[in-house]
Amino acid sequence: MLDTYREVVTPEGVALHLPAAGPVPRAMAWVIDLVIRGAVLALLGIVLGLLGAAGQGLYLVLMFLVIWAYPIVFEAMWNGQTPGKKAMSLRVVATDGAPVGWLPAITRNLLRTVDMLPFAYATGLVASLADGYGRRLGDMVAGTLVVHATQEHDHASAPINRVLAPPMALRPGEQAALVAFGERAPLLTPSRQAELADLVEPLTQARGESGVLRLFGMANWLLGRR
Amino acid sequence: MRQEQFIARHQAEWQAFEHWLQTRGELRKALAERNSGQIGDEDIPARYRRLCQQLAIARRRGYSSVVTARLQVLMQRGHNLLYRTPPPRWRRAVEFLLADFPRLVRSEAGCMSAAAVLFVLPLALMFTLLQWFPELVYGVMDPAQVAQLENMYDPAADHHKLGRDSGGDWQMFGFYVMNNISIGLRTFASGLLAGIGTVLVLVFNGISIGTVFGHLQQVGQGDPLWRFVAGHAPFELTGIVIAGGAGLRLGLNLVAPGRQRRIDALVAGGVKGAKICMGVAFMLLVAAFIEAFWSSIPSIPAWIKYSVSALLWSLVLAWLWRGGRDRAEAADAA
Repeated sequence: MLDTYREVVTPEGVALHLPAAGPVPRAMAWVIDLVIRGAVLALLGIVLGLLGAAGQGLYLVLMFLVIWAYPIVFEAMWNGQTPGKKAMSLRVVATDGAPVGWLPAITRNLLRTVDMLPFAYATGLVASLADGYGRRLGDMVAGTLVVHATQEHDHASAPINRVLAPPMALRPGEQAALVAFGERAPLLTPSRQAELADLVEPLTQARGESGVLRLFGMANWLLGRR
Repeated sequence: MRQEQFIARHQAEWQAFEHWLQTRGELRKALAERNSGQIGDEDIPARYRRLCQQLAIARRRGYSSVVTARLQVLMQRGHNLLYRTPPPRWRRAVEFLLADFPRLVRSEAGCMSAAAVLFVLPLALMFTLLQWFPELVYGVMDPAQVAQLENMYDPAADHHKLGRDSGGDWQMFGFYVMNNISIGLRTFASGLLAGIGTVLVLVFNGISIGTVFGHLQQVGQGDPLWRFVAGHAPFELTGIVIAGGAGLRLGLNLVAPGRQRRIDALVAGGVKGAKICMGVAFMLLVAAFIEAFWSSIPSIPAWIKYSVSALLWSLVLAWLWRGGRDRAEAADAA
């Protein structure tokens, strides 16, 4: 299947459709995090450098935290998002769609060590390309999944009030396509609307703008507007 | 039922749920306040289940994404809320360290023993070999490192602290935290490579520690060395061995998952490993603290250092051996 949507069945028995994220946005999120961490460390280095040896000790402790705890704490406490993941609107979730807990967050971030081998996340890249859910090894062991944080699309309803019954019985897939056209066409240019409507000329018996209007009418009828 | 009628019938319900999510559910501070809204907090699970059912119906009837996408977003937000991570609790953390962690370690006694053998055997072997063939040290370390090592534990030099060239206590504490805990965590993580990574880390650490100890003992600088390592060894060495044991368990679950699916065995090993790693990180933190602030004091006489070491060894071993035992029995009886 080309689509990266994965069905995850929640405890309530309903399938959540989660769009699994591929290696590229994840790598970009990682780079953003790397820059942030580097900046934090550089800043800490300047400030703590003024404090002498004790400052250097504190710097090393904080460096440990920034390296190991940063992704764990963010993922467990901040909706499964590090700042980099937030910027790329990615989210870590458990494979049952629930928010990621402390233990999975720890596991997946400790096992980065292995995914980084032998260089530049090569193992993780191969694993995420081979896996249907785009998971790296750490994700598999932790039972987690990185998904695109869902955005609500603004679907406008069909822009006219006219209602038109389709001249023939339509199968469910065809009905869904008509409704989707009614909702999404307002986001397209008029010429593209017409181009799409022309594809179903046998249904509308019209071309161009009048075909578009008839499709809107049928979409309204299918939605139950009267 | 047509889509529009479905929306008209349930719209108010969805909006109320969404309003609750925005005003109460997703704000942690709101839980402390009185609920003055339309829906009581206690109704939410039931409303959430209704929403799930409506989403299933909407999908089954082939309603458009206007309905299904909206319901899915609402459901996901509800899901995130109902199954969200509980805030960490201090009491639970103490319980974990005192009882759960030792029990976890005991439950993997086989892997832990294997890790201990993999670590102690090369260590003892190198130590013994170096007493008879002192030149072997140059096979493991280069001459500059050897010279630095001898300087660090030079019994004639009283001007600096034990076990280090230079650097204050806090600086070294930071260094030990960064270095030692990272090593411990990597020891576990590299177990995912079918356990080979962990085996290598354990064996190489055993060899290098055995070389250092063996060489210093052989050139007659054993006394400052033993005084230095006696204090933190109980936490540090056992910590590394336990991390290695968890890594071996993970690798073993990959190679021989037994009656589980391989992925399930790995997930089980990963969760267990994460728990053990929290305990290991704690042990190594304690070790770093002792190493920086106690082990390095040169003026404390050897007999005190060794008594403290004996005490710590018995504490650590008793903790790992007995910790949480009564709780396990209570859980069995219940």
